[in-house]
Amino acid sequence: MSKLDEFRAEYKNSISDEIEKQKRYYFNIKNKDLREIADYLINDLGLRLSTASGTEMENHLEILYHFSNDETGQYFCPRIIIQNKDNPEVNSIAEIVKGAKWIERELFDFWGIKFKGHPNMKRLLAENHPQEVDKPLRFKEEK
Amino acid sequence: MKNKVPLGPYHPILEEAEYFELEVEGEEVVDLEMEVGWMHRGHEYISEQENFNQAIYLVERICGICSTSHPIACVHAIEDIDNIEIPERAQYIRSLVGEMERIHSHLLWLGLAGHFIGYDTVWMWSWKYREPVLEMMEIISGNRNHYGMMRVGGVGNDVVPQDIPELVDKLEMIEEKMNMISKAVQDDPVLKARLKGVGALTKKEARNYCAVGPVARASGINIDVRKDEPTDAYGKVDFEEIIAENGDVYDKLIVRVKEIFESISICKQCINKLEKIDGPVLNDVKEISKGEGIGRYEAPRGEVFHYIRSDGSNRALRHKIRAPSYMNIPTYKASCPGVSLSDALITLAAVDPCYCCTERALKIKSDSEEKPDLLQLSKQKTERIREEHNGN
Repeated sequence: MSKLDEFRAEYKNSISDEIEKQKRYYFNIKNKDLREIADYLINDLGLRLSTASGTEMENHLEILYHFSNDETGQYFCPRIIIQNKDNPEVNSIAEIVKGAKWIERELFDFWGIKFKGHPNMKRLLAENHPQEVDKPLRFKEEK
Repeated sequence: MKNKVPLGPYHPILEEAEYFELEVEGEEVVDLEMEVGWMHRGHEYISEQENFNQAIYLVERICGICSTSHPIACVHAIEDIDNIEIPERAQYIRSLVGEMERIHSHLLWLGLAGHFIGYDTVWMWSWKYREPVLEMMEIISGNRNHYGMMRVGGVGNDVVPQDIPELVDKLEMIEEKMNMISKAVQDDPVLKARLKGVGALTKKEARNYCAVGPVARASGINIDVRKDEPTDAYGKVDFEEIIAENGDVYDKLIVRVKEIFESISICKQCINKLEKIDGPVLNDVKEISKGEGIGRYEAPRGEVFHYIRSDGSNRALRHKIRAPSYMNIPTYKASCPGVSLSDALITLAAVDPCYCCTERALKIKSDSEEKPDLLQLSKQKTERIREEHNGN
């Protein structure tokens, strides 16, 4: 039984909108399930968190996590949709995997997404900007 | 009593702007904090404004050392959207260029590591024999760095048969010299005494920080994109994945030195195949459909990750780039505590944080008073290469 089948059997009720391609598996999850699923992927299946990409769409924000199965080269990509664009908030997985600390800080910096439970929730790149940056970098500078 | 020692962001021995605050107790480092952000240039945002072909040239300029790893990962991501196949000859050329980059990058790091611990002989040797690799890149692509080789659907430049003997000669020479350097480095009691047991990163911590590349492999984790997801020619060539156990600076050095030999072997196999295989090097790709793709490549420092989301137009809706140092730099938090202040610097340098660019030095020989300017020389050189290629 492959890791993908194991995962599907375990969480068939928590995932939706699956897209399966060769060695890539994208699926949607809810924020409340994020920590449990991340814990399962990393500690039970032995995957590695590669990174997470934030995307701004017309009506919502998205976070797409990328977990790598280094035995087969397959990528597991859980996606979280955040409807509240004004005050986006997601659970942090930095307690589960330390590699997520910078990734979440960068998402906070770029998209303004706050991570609940992050030990050091501050900007990553614009922290030492010569001019004080008071909004996420996704907002274009007003001319 | 605890004291804080600031290092950076503009520090003579750090080649790039990063800030470290080392907390020391006497001579021993007990903790450190790091801050980044001085080098942020907004590549992702710029790339989303450009079309796919322009994006490849843009990501090439993220780093001067891994200037072909980012384009390879980027084209992989675009090709992943539509499962685009590339010609066999292009696969070998991609892997050849990628492996030559690994040789010169590891030699650059070896030299810098020697320089940081005051062993300048290693520095001079490594950089001397890095030079022929750059010359090989110039023969293949016309440039010493920023090769401009990668395209969606193949490569932009073919390796012409008349260049192959020179490439083989240079590879033989590099291998011979590397045997000498590697023996000198591995048998040196001073290096062993200086680097063994320093700044060890345990396997557990390496996993927890999601370390990649030689940093993870030195700690005993067998991850290598070339083996795990063999794209291009990597599934068709023989090479060994180099793994060490202790995760200290010495093991990181040994992993890189041994990887150079594997890369030389891959280059030879690729060149050998290029002599036998004929055919095109670029498939015509008309458009990219709506969808998302992930591209990865094992850069000299570890896995480069590109995620591209396309809305069916000619540019990316979202282009996410993650360089390997992004995952490796936070491991300092685990490897630095416990080392002495004098060892802190080589521990920081051991993950090979990405130095942004190498500059080209040009020696102008002229008998007359009037020296030709760089632009003129560059034009003459381009003309010469063009003539050589057209003539044959």
